[in-house]
Amino acid sequence: MNPIIRRELLELLRTPKAIAAQIALAVACALLVLLRWPASGVSDLGGARSLQVLRVFGYGLLAGILFLVPAFPATSIVRERIKGTLALLLNSPMTPLSIYLGKLGGTLGFTSILLAVTVPAAAACYALGGSSTSGGVAWLYVVLGVATFQITTLALWISSRATSTDFALRTTYGCVLALALLPLAPYWALQGEASDLLDVAAWLRCLSPVPAVMEVLGHAAVGTHGLGDAGGAIGKFVVLALVFGLVFAWATVAQLRGRPLDRSRAAGVMTQDRSTGSQIFRRLFFLVDPQRRSASMPLLVNPVMLKEFRSRKFGRGHWTLRLIALSAILSLGLCTAAAEGAIGWGIEIIGGALVLLQTAILILFTPSLAAGLISTERENGSWQLLRMTPLSTGKILRGKLLSVVWPLLLLLCATLPGYVFLMTIKPELGPQVARVVVSLGLTAVFAMLVSAAASCLFRTTAVATAAANLALVGLCIGTLLAVIARDAPFGKSTVEAILTVNPVAAALSAAETPGFKDYDLIPLNWYVVGGASAVLLLFVMVRTRRLSRPD
Amino acid sequence: MPNDGPVIETRNLTKKYGSFVALDSLSIAVDKGQILGFIGPNGAGKTTTIKILVGLSRPTSGTATVAGIDCAKDARKIKRLLGYMPDTFGSYDNMRVGEYLDFFGAAYGLGRRDRVKRVDEVLETAGAGKFKDLFVESLSHGMKQRVAIARTLLHDPVALILDEPANGLDPQARIEMRGLLLDLAARGKTLIVTSHILPELARICDRCAIITRGKLRAYGTLAEIGRQLSQMRTIEVLLATDRELDRAVEVLRPHVEEKSELTAHPAEYAVRFRTAKPDEELAAALAALVGAKLPVTQFREVQTDLEEAFMTVARSDDDAGAKA
Repeated sequence: MNPIIRRELLELLRTPKAIAAQIALAVACALLVLLRWPASGVSDLGGARSLQVLRVFGYGLLAGILFLVPAFPATSIVRERIKGTLALLLNSPMTPLSIYLGKLGGTLGFTSILLAVTVPAAAACYALGGSSTSGGVAWLYVVLGVATFQITTLALWISSRATSTDFALRTTYGCVLALALLPLAPYWALQGEASDLLDVAAWLRCLSPVPAVMEVLGHAAVGTHGLGDAGGAIGKFVVLALVFGLVFAWATVAQLRGRPLDRSRAAGVMTQDRSTGSQIFRRLFFLVDPQRRSASMPLLVNPVMLKEFRSRKFGRGHWTLRLIALSAILSLGLCTAAAEGAIGWGIEIIGGALVLLQTAILILFTPSLAAGLISTERENGSWQLLRMTPLSTGKILRGKLLSVVWPLLLLLCATLPGYVFLMTIKPELGPQVARVVVSLGLTAVFAMLVSAAASCLFRTTAVATAAANLALVGLCIGTLLAVIARDAPFGKSTVEAILTVNPVAAALSAAETPGFKDYDLIPLNWYVVGGASAVLLLFVMVRTRRLSRPD
Repeated sequence: MPNDGPVIETRNLTKKYGSFVALDSLSIAVDKGQILGFIGPNGAGKTTTIKILVGLSRPTSGTATVAGIDCAKDARKIKRLLGYMPDTFGSYDNMRVGEYLDFFGAAYGLGRRDRVKRVDEVLETAGAGKFKDLFVESLSHGMKQRVAIARTLLHDPVALILDEPANGLDPQARIEMRGLLLDLAARGKTLIVTSHILPELARICDRCAIITRGKLRAYGTLAEIGRQLSQMRTIEVLLATDRELDRAVEVLRPHVEEKSELTAHPAEYAVRFRTAKPDEELAAALAALVGAKLPVTQFREVQTDLEEAFMTVARSDDDAGAKA
């Protein structure tokens, strides 16, 4: 057996955490089916209730794969490089292909075991209701398996090129979300037009696993407004994802076959040391020049906060400005398009889209910003240096949390012009927008504290990021799936109770987004999320204090 | 800070993890401007001692002080008095050396203007001035060691604790590091240096402490350590010519113990012997050589080799472990 698979899979399976993950997943799935199990002698022959549960199940598994799987392959190769064990592996008789297959096999193996744990529950659910899924539960697992392969190969490729675990994680999560959502856009935009471009877009959208899963679960494709489309998304996805995965696998093996360790970081000539012409050019085109010698840290500013900004690629001024500008453009573009009638959406849908845009930003960026706050320091040995400085634990923690608060605040503020636009169109929206903004603010705080708590708990950034994503996806996206199952199998009060713990649902409800309008979540949701945030903050403070105390 | 007395001192320092005794009643003292070589096999308790001294760990019993301040009770004050260079570098991504040092300067509360000046000074002192604009992660191991030394000097500590500073350095960098450490001691800094490169350590240390299984086995100057490990010392007599070596052996014979072996080394014009006799009796031996009109150019005690001392301790420790 490939020794890397043995090390990465079999040894992982022996750990209590792996066993706990499998048991937790099996129990969660069993509970979901038990909720659906007919209590009386009357059975739902139509299969609608069963299908509702299966849909919750299917989308939940897809979200789990999109948010959890990337963390491990994304850090797999880059961690070996940093620790120096990649050089040992490449120097062993193992070929780059067998090293790669070991890494791929390890991740696919563990994910397969987790998916296999859910099979009995899904099968029971399917068998119970005679639901009309396309090809049955087997296809759902085929699509999820292929999606895992696609994501893992992409993540391993990024890992083979990255020089730090932080960069690998952020880039991989960004690329995976882009892969899941961006291919849907052209098909959605070209709806209603009969052109060759639509055929291309129909193929392109199948690069994302979302249409395939929707088709398996009997949902219409994104942008079709419930109308049926030509179908075939499952087959197209399987073909495209396999090709995609093989291309990235080849690229990664080629990267390992080359000299992955034979490269030094370009030092970069400082702007001050360049010619006058070059300096003028850079002054014109860089509002914040990354190659300019940075000024000494001001005494009154928390040095840990500035250090965090400077040690993150996306924390540097020029990248922060780019992200904020992109958010502002997206927000304003969306509103302008709606106002000019380019898209036939009402104010509520625009509001919902804005909330979803901001939520996506929060869920994507917050764990990658906050889940490494403490774990990265512990992982690279700089935590003891920080403990050796006279900085108090409070100041260290404040600096670290502020380094997350500021980018999140700026990103959220960048989308505010969209709300101003909405309020200009419909001035009576003021109080509603205020509620949305408060809910989003709470979402940001909650996401940051969940990630910071994970960062305090785990020694490695990859595990901390995966744990933070798991918690956030479970709470913010997992509970949203209850809306799909409204009426069947859950009643309105059950769905409302579930959504009470979800700050994103509160924001969508405040924005009166279709599907969420009927739920009265505020202010109870604020109290629940605020209380949970306070508990998390207390936990982070206690845990950080404990980590900085003498042993 | 008191002017007299040791800068770093431990008294009966003990650290236990459950039933495992990591450090057993360790007592050492290092004066201002001195370099202490702290030696021991892996797992001997060196890092435990260092962690207690820098305030990262609490002793089970005993005390550790730096400039009279208790390391366990006043950990915050200790941080300003000590510069600590661990065996791992602890770098941050995307930061240039100047920014990296600027951060630690700010963390130590140095004013903005002082910090800019101080960063340049410590980089020059560590011979790393030309690295200032380079990314930290692009530095070689030797360059990182220099930057790490610069980092420990930023807040001008009275004492430095350096864990394996010469580890992984090429010969030239090692020689330069040796010069740097001697220079720091000459400036009045007190240093504790751990290293497994014993000849290197022997050339810079004023005192050495050898520790195994948490216990201090030998402590003092190299000569003192030699005497602690064995009552016998090696004496060397150098003559101006090799022709009189046999006669020198004859003259010395009555002045040394019967079992002691006197050996002539014609190539070095030297006679060596091991003896436990006191200095007064050795003075009589020298007088006898001079009285016999032998051309004596040197009569001296040969310094104990640190490697030999360490191996003696390690072997006796292994024997004790085997018996236990």
